[in-house]
Amino acid sequence: MGARFDYAQAEEIRDVFARHGVRYLFLGKSGAILLGFPDTTQDADVFVERTMANGLALVATLRKLGFTLTDAEAAEVARGKVFVQLKNGPFDLDLVFAPDGIETFADAWRRRVEVAPVCHLDDIIASKAAANRVRDREVLPRLRAFREYWVRRSC
Amino acid sequence: MAVSILGGVVANRQGCETRPMAQDELHDWDAEFEAAARRPLRTRMRYAFVRTYKPVLDDATYRSFDSLAEYRAWCEANLPSWLGYGRAV
Repeated sequence: MGARFDYAQAEEIRDVFARHGVRYLFLGKSGAILLGFPDTTQDADVFVERTMANGLALVATLRKLGFTLTDAEAAEVARGKVFVQLKNGPFDLDLVFAPDGIETFADAWRRRVEVAPVCHLDDIIASKAAANRVRDREVLPRLRAFREYWVRRSC
Repeated sequence: MAVSILGGVVANRQGCETRPMAQDELHDWDAEFEAAARRPLRTRMRYAFVRTYKPVLDDATYRSFDSLAEYRAWCEANLPSWLGYGRAV
């Protein structure tokens, strides 16, 4: 179990991923929190573009950040296995290459919000609605209310 | 399709999975959102990311799945339901 994800690590992800040219977006509740949603979560979720070049860059980046990956694990990440859960680094990180509720990375990238690259709240909400777990159903009403607030505030 | 709050009911994109919302609750949330917006991101993150041990889920350092359906099925079969990773309570 990694340590708590913090602001410095979010900056580190942004900077190291940018240096290695990794195409990704924060997703899930961690993404909503970066957009100002006041809530709690335990890990960071990133939606990663699924190409071999991006996967290889991601592996290099994860190792730079302090994640320990065996060669077999690195190969899975590089080829973009759909969902990878990492608890072998400085913080817990979920990698999602094909999230529920979002058609393509390119679509989400076009709608991104540049706090760090973060999925638009509509995409975060869509992925949670599609996942439809108990924990998603619990947070969705408040997340939707935040979306209304966020849009009003942005106007 | 836009997400909307209609007449005190929060509806999703499909217009289903709704629950009635008290106006007071919506006002309280708005006040929370306003308060949060006044804090810098660094402060918000300090209180947003927490660590508690999650049985089973935290007992392996690496897991991977070929689809989210496979991951969800694994969660349903292996995690305590109270963690909330399943679709049913």
